Amino acid sequence: MTDAAIISRQRDPLAGRLPVTIITGFLGSGKTTLLRRLLRHPAMNRAAVIINEFGDVGLDHELVEASSEQMTLLSNGCLCCTVRTDLQETLRELFVKRRSGEVIDFDRVFVETTGLADPVPVLHTLQTDGLLGAQYRLNGVVTLVDAVNGMGQLDTMAEAAKQAAVADRLVITKTDIADARQVDGLTQRLSGMNPYATVSQAVEGELDPEVLAEITPGNSQALARDPDRWLALHALEADAPGPVKGRFGAGAHDAAIHAFCLWFDRPFTWDSLSAAIDMLTSLRGPDLLRVKGIVAVEGEPGPVAIHGAQHVFHPPVKLAEWKTADHRSRIVFVVRSIPREAIEAVFTAVGLLRGGGRG
Amino acid sequence: MAKSLGGAGARADQTLSLNMRLLAHHELEGFGGMGEGMAMQATRDKRRILWLAHEAAPKNFTAVDVTDPRKPKLVVQTELPHARMRSNSLDVVGNTMAVAYQTSGVGLKPAGFDLFDISTPEQPKLISHFDASGPHSRGVHAVWFVDGEFVHMASGAPDFQPRNPLDDQFYRMIDVRNPSKPVEACRWWLPGTREGDDAPPPRRLAPKFDAGFRAHNTNVFPQRPDRAYIGYIDGGAIILDISDKARPTLVSRWSYSPPYNGFTHTVLPLFERGLLIVSDECIKDDGADWPKLVWVVDARVETNPVPIATFPMPPFDAFAKRGGRYGAHNLHENLPVPTSWRSDHIVVGSFFNAGVRAFDVSNPLQPQEVAYFVPGAPKMAPTGAIQLNDVYVDDRGIVFTVDRHIGGLYILEMTI
Repeated sequence: MTDAAIISRQRDPLAGRLPVTIITGFLGSGKTTLLRRLLRHPAMNRAAVIINEFGDVGLDHELVEASSEQMTLLSNGCLCCTVRTDLQETLRELFVKRRSGEVIDFDRVFVETTGLADPVPVLHTLQTDGLLGAQYRLNGVVTLVDAVNGMGQLDTMAEAAKQAAVADRLVITKTDIADARQVDGLTQRLSGMNPYATVSQAVEGELDPEVLAEITPGNSQALARDPDRWLALHALEADAPGPVKGRFGAGAHDAAIHAFCLWFDRPFTWDSLSAAIDMLTSLRGPDLLRVKGIVAVEGEPGPVAIHGAQHVFHPPVKLAEWKTADHRSRIVFVVRSIPREAIEAVFTAVGLLRGGGRG
Repeated sequence: MAKSLGGAGARADQTLSLNMRLLAHHELEGFGGMGEGMAMQATRDKRRILWLAHEAAPKNFTAVDVTDPRKPKLVVQTELPHARMRSNSLDVVGNTMAVAYQTSGVGLKPAGFDLFDISTPEQPKLISHFDASGPHSRGVHAVWFVDGEFVHMASGAPDFQPRNPLDDQFYRMIDVRNPSKPVEACRWWLPGTREGDDAPPPRRLAPKFDAGFRAHNTNVFPQRPDRAYIGYIDGGAIILDISDKARPTLVSRWSYSPPYNGFTHTVLPLFERGLLIVSDECIKDDGADWPKLVWVVDARVETNPVPIATFPMPPFDAFAKRGGRYGAHNLHENLPVPTSWRSDHIVVGSFFNAGVRAFDVSNPLQPQEVAYFVPGAPKMAPTGAIQLNDVYVDDRGIVFTVDRHIGGLYILEMTI
């Protein structure tokens, strides 16, 4: 490393912020059971959990070490608190108390949304609140789907489908009381809607905390080393070489929600990238459920990670260098009622794709 | 109930962390009271040896092999000749180490510094001793030795009589190009502090804060070999022009006490940024000399330093009564040696019971705290709390920090 490079060392854009994992899922999907189990896990001894109300989690008395009106400290060190007026305020207050040494020095946060909640506004909370954004970062969205009732909820409840569509991790619960065909059918359907989320199963809330760790890498070096893990492209490529198109649309009910990855041989310019994102968000913002990408931008020594949900995008994260041989840009889209061709057309318009091709 | 919840982090037995993770803790064979001398040697056989000065007798210095930061191994630990002295400060260039000696009273020996050949870390060999003892001298408090040619230091001298005994240590530059015969190249003291000066004596701080008008850290960097950056205790932050090595002259002095409570410790220039990071030292327990801060000073015009911010400190209420001292002390000083971390954006400091803390000064008007580690109170801690005294960050970004009284060495990984 040159002297100039050494002296200009700056903080990592991803590291240095506390990871927030959002746990969502429709009513009865088992969020409470999952959290209750998680809280007992030894690796959770520095976790803070934000829940809707204590009654829901039904904390076991022997676990409670101390509690106040809003917060409870469990004997294993985990901190549990209820949402006060809103999530923003609760997250701010938690950080302030952590800094002042009033609560444990938690190293991760889990946020449980209500069953009917649309998780996207929670993502926006972290993206648009500058104070929170400086202290916290999104680790990922974990959506629980009930193996018995999930299929019906996806059919009839728009919120349930959206929760599944925006997930980084899908967890099918109650598989012990569903039959194998139900579980298979649900797995296929979820993979069809959102092939970029890995699917796990949990019985009685038993889930390896590793499934929820580092959904987004904790620092930019790790992200640069294996960007496809963050984009969840590995699994797809392993069993579907070539164009991944054939995998999609598996759930006939969910034609409205689908997902795909666009690849680009030529690098973007900052202008073309922001033009494309501006055009997409202004034309189809509400239907861009989740966008994640690793992008080559002219003049940047490393890739740029982009991430958005609906009309709100995080500030792009510049990674120091490419650590993989493939320098092509790749952007994963999970969208509602937008044909793939329409999105390709936007990139064609800004000159990134030729003739609607795969880039 | 609420009270014990509220007290969880404010209790001295709690370890607190943000973006720093403990890799290893070494109690240094029960002699874990460490001073403010930390330096890393890269040996010919590819080992990394961390050299540490002790805060007080009976130990002189300790070397720890930190090649694998998760498995530190004690290499050597040496004794002082008697108990009325301390080593406190050291620096390493290549295979040469300078160790400061300060006595508890004037007129005692040895007071000065030693040069050691540490080619074989297990067997440090004395090369020479530079004598700074005298009827009004306690010897050397701090050394700065980064180029192998000159030792810059806060020291008394045989021929120096201060008007006030608290003002006994001043800036001295010692030529060690012939390491077996160190000779003084020049010296500078605040005019008015030496008996016989024309200048009037400086106005002293209130008795409870009066710690002396004397040098503490005396830093000279290759980016500006013609400047010395000096924390001058109650005299504030001083920049000297040392381009004429025979005759240093004052460029500027930023004096902010009173109204503040004195004890300017370190002046760290961030050359690319036109900034000085100036740290105070807290010297009283239980918040009695609060606030002791780290200042961001705009030094684009070096003759007119302008303070523009201070590092955000954790709340006084949570730490002042945690035990011992709470406030600023040493900074990692971007040493111009291959084994040192250097950054013009991230500054790491030790804050006694508030642990070790890292700050991002990318926006100098609004420094941000980005990482910290506060070890739980070490066993048998006399103040009942950790008292992190000094910090060194190596080129790998590994953070080494030491307790002042008993806790020894803590090795941390910084994930910022």
